[in-house]
Amino acid sequence: MAQEVSRRSFLKLAAAAGAAATVPGCHPAARHLVPYVVPDENVTPGLPSFYATTCAECPAGCAVVARVREGRVTKLEGNPIDPIGAGALCARGQAALQELYNPDRLAAPRRREADGRSTPLSWQTALGEFNAQMKAAAAAGKDRVLYIGQPQGPTLRKITEAWLRAYNSQRLIAFEAINYQALTDAAQRCFNRQDRPVYQLDAAEVIVSFGADFLETYLSPVEYTRQFAAFRAPRATGAQTAMGLALYVGPRMNLTAANSDEWIAARPGTEGAVAMAVLRAVVDAGALGSSSGLDATALRQFTTGYEPEAIAKHSGVPAAAIRRIAQRLGQARGAVALAAADDLTGQVAAMLLNAVTGNLGGTMKFIDAPDLTRASSRGEVAAAIKAMHDGAVDVLVVAGVNPVFALPPELATVQAMRRVKLVVWAGWVPDETAEFAHLMLPIDHPLESWDDVAPRPGVARLRQPVTRRVFDSLALGDLLLESVALAGASPPPVAWKDTQEALKAAWREIQTRVAPSTSFDEFWTKALSEGGIFAEPKTASVTISPNALGEAPKLDAPAEESLALASFPHIFLYDGRGADKPWLQEVPEPVAQIVWDNWAEIHPDTARRLNVEQGQVVEIASRHGRLAVAAHLSPRLHPQAIAIPIGQGHLAYGRYASGRGANPWQVLPAGRLVAAVEVRPTERRVKLVSPLAPPSMLEQPVVKALSLDELRRGVVPQETEPYPEPYEMYDPYTYPKHEWGMTIDLNACTGCSACVAACYAENNVPVVGKELVAEGRIMSWIRIERYWPETPEAPLMMKMPMLCQQCGHAPCEPVCPVFAAYRTDEGLNGQVYNRCVGTRYCSNNCPYKVRRFNWYKPEWPHPLQLQLNPDVSVRGAGVMEKCTFCIQRIRFAEMQALTGQQPLVDGTIVPACAQACPARAITFGDMKQATSAMMSRRKLHALRNYRALDEDLNTQPGIVYLRGIYREHGEV
Amino acid sequence: MRRAILSAAVVLVLGALATVALSQKPWLARSDVVQPIPFSHRIHAGLHQIPCQYCHEYARRSLTSGVPPVERCVGCHGLLAQKGALAPITRPWTDHKRSALEIRWNRVYTLPDFVRFAHFPHIHAGIACQSCHGPVETMDRVVPVYAIDMGFCLNCHSQKGASIDCVTCHY
Repeated sequence: MAQEVSRRSFLKLAAAAGAAATVPGCHPAARHLVPYVVPDENVTPGLPSFYATTCAECPAGCAVVARVREGRVTKLEGNPIDPIGAGALCARGQAALQELYNPDRLAAPRRREADGRSTPLSWQTALGEFNAQMKAAAAAGKDRVLYIGQPQGPTLRKITEAWLRAYNSQRLIAFEAINYQALTDAAQRCFNRQDRPVYQLDAAEVIVSFGADFLETYLSPVEYTRQFAAFRAPRATGAQTAMGLALYVGPRMNLTAANSDEWIAARPGTEGAVAMAVLRAVVDAGALGSSSGLDATALRQFTTGYEPEAIAKHSGVPAAAIRRIAQRLGQARGAVALAAADDLTGQVAAMLLNAVTGNLGGTMKFIDAPDLTRASSRGEVAAAIKAMHDGAVDVLVVAGVNPVFALPPELATVQAMRRVKLVVWAGWVPDETAEFAHLMLPIDHPLESWDDVAPRPGVARLRQPVTRRVFDSLALGDLLLESVALAGASPPPVAWKDTQEALKAAWREIQTRVAPSTSFDEFWTKALSEGGIFAEPKTASVTISPNALGEAPKLDAPAEESLALASFPHIFLYDGRGADKPWLQEVPEPVAQIVWDNWAEIHPDTARRLNVEQGQVVEIASRHGRLAVAAHLSPRLHPQAIAIPIGQGHLAYGRYASGRGANPWQVLPAGRLVAAVEVRPTERRVKLVSPLAPPSMLEQPVVKALSLDELRRGVVPQETEPYPEPYEMYDPYTYPKHEWGMTIDLNACTGCSACVAACYAENNVPVVGKELVAEGRIMSWIRIERYWPETPEAPLMMKMPMLCQQCGHAPCEPVCPVFAAYRTDEGLNGQVYNRCVGTRYCSNNCPYKVRRFNWYKPEWPHPLQLQLNPDVSVRGAGVMEKCTFCIQRIRFAEMQALTGQQPLVDGTIVPACAQACPARAITFGDMKQATSAMMSRRKLHALRNYRALDEDLNTQPGIVYLRGIYREHGEV
Repeated sequence: MRRAILSAAVVLVLGALATVALSQKPWLARSDVVQPIPFSHRIHAGLHQIPCQYCHEYARRSLTSGVPPVERCVGCHGLLAQKGALAPITRPWTDHKRSALEIRWNRVYTLPDFVRFAHFPHIHAGIACQSCHGPVETMDRVVPVYAIDMGFCLNCHSQKGASIDCVTCHY
């Protein structure tokens, strides 16, 4: 017995070993302080600096302000002086940081070896090889160099053109996968204009969208979300309260449809025909505006074949609905019709509708300035690829775009690239195109670059480096200018040394035009500090072109009996470029609420006919190609439609993007997001993961709404029985100084999830991945709750931003055994991370399920951790975390007020979610200050106030929601 | 029996090691820190009466007080110290072929990651630097005088009527 280790000594041993094991875990913090040799006067260690620049994530070009701490950018926010974004920023804009700090970004130049592997090489060698091949190409003849890049701002375009000229070429393709060519073609046809129109949705009473998803990705979603929220805000007109009427025609209930009064299901590809039929019905009803300059006979002739009855059969939209839309458009004082980005028929019809209803120059206008950023047309792209096929291209440079992923299969881009002697890929995260490149060059991210941007006529923006280079990259402009110098032409074709010099030269010209009386330095400093020049652009006066009513467009929808693919750009992944950013993968798509994947939405009736179940992989084949993707059954779809979001299906493009879902570009024709398809079930299954718990509210109405009629009558629906009397067991809390609260307008909120991404960025919220989301371990502090209504009289989609309600009677607080969850002196439910021992009682007791537990140690693969906000603790494994209204911002503002640096007035503190919200649905403020914007908003909409689940649970939340407003069916 | 003694010994040794390791409290200020340069606060702040914030200039407006840039040393020492101990620091200013010398100071004071401390409100409240850092102007080599733990903070906050709400420092 003595030889054995007794139970007691074993336990002692185990305890000692355990203690010893913890010793290496307590490693000391960084023990060195390395001061600057010469301090940078723009940097105060410990305080953020802010730099204005321009977002590069989509063509809208919102102005942003970058928050920089100790030389690294940690957050992007909208620039309030910008008329496009107006201070808001969408989820895609927020996530630009994750491209900058992406762990899979190309770190140094690489060369592709014969066996397909790539090896690193020095910049000198890489540029030497590149320029030698360039010289050979120039010597071989004209136009043997092809450049395919993003649509560039004026300066970079000038540099690129000069570079091509130096090498005897003019082949420049500004590639945009979703290029709005239909819009410019229609503008050309209808108004003889080469630019795109600008819409003013808040000047309308009625919006009819024929497939334009302007709340997700169409043209300028931040701007249109803000305008849409203003359009939907109830306003007193005369004796009655009015609210804008929105109608959506399209195959899928997307975010725009779900926020409209009615979604009219149309067969994929027929939205344009419906728009033509509506035009016909407007003419027939005699609702022609006198100022339009079009006569009824010509219009009738133009719309022959598009009579509502004929189109009803073609599109599945009843003739009565078409007439109703026409009636609404014709009667409204201020109406606007919009059409899908790829639909020429729809764009022509929508523009004519806007013209004939007298809204040209009002809700739809053109800007009186040249359009400086033009994407190449489909024809130009196809010609360039054909030149590659013909062996007419020796050097191809692809910069910042992914044509292999996004070009239609009929162009056979990969085969074309194989015929090119040297393919140079310049970009950030190596994508499918990089797989076929001989030379890969890392270029600066837009946040590291000098540039200018002209997203629309009359708008001039600047882009400046807001952080030091993260990797060993070069600016694209500098690289091209160096190449120009090496071409050895004399005299040199350009005078600039680098991009910054070229930019200054261009802006000197702008200065002589717009501010000739100021000095250039003054003008430049101001423009740089504000991010560009912000002047109200002049509206152009336009008239209908005589060619507008020429030959009517032909019906181009897939055959009436076939199933049709209706693909759409994913709200976050857009044309595919967002897929490498973990935030954009983890934030659920707002309508389907699916993460880290894509899917084929199939109507349940169709699925039954095809014998397909939820999650079953289906093979989808069109004339152009085939793909396999998991089915997601949804009744909010036209029965003949198969809807697949674009953006996933990457074979390369980093660890976050590759190997997820399928790429619908593979089955699409050139220039159209619709194709006739056949669907065949397979044996495989994929689990589509959604963090959303139950699909219904389980008779606990957490999201509430009222009808416009109820609002007018001043009655509030009673969903639940009122609670007898609030019961107080203890003395009420007192808050000596502030009691923070929030008002969230559910009528303004569209569900776009910008707030969710902003919260990830501000609060160091970790990303967990698909498998852990499936286990319910998503970490988002704020989420969009989405429910489908169970009664017919309700909004089309019920949604609310759900975050910690900062309850006055918080169920989480009394159950914490260690006082980690507690009530602060300022009305918040504080969470002391270092005190938390991880019992998770608080989360169990939280009725809103907004507390998040770190089951694992969160990880940020290098250099993603450089994005972390140094003002917020990074929580470790075993710790509960939650929203505290961005307490770091509250504390900083309070300290500034305490030290007399800046008074703490209403509006000084803006939490990240409220800051990002394009719809301005979230207002934060002090509940003790009755005049605060937040309290005024509650008072102004007193009838719509409610607190989530409060009447049942008496939790007394600090967040007041304003009910959404819907129209009863008879009113639509 | 021998095994029992052996196991007891192992337990004791491991226990002692663990106690030593844990009692170090790596988040507390350390008294054994030696700097790469024998810089004396006594001479600068004591003898020559240079105000603390002349060098630690960010204290009044930032979260951190800041360690003076090398430029600040050269500003005073300038060309006087072309020779001798300070030469490696000052010479790059006159001899441009030499690369500037980065000084890697060793940290004396540190706080755990879950504490958010800001210098500027304390300076504005008129708290003397010595209240937390001790009489630095008498020290050749800086050693901590107070163990800056939560009790230390709370004592002062309670006496001065400053907030002792947890989220004042923990978030």
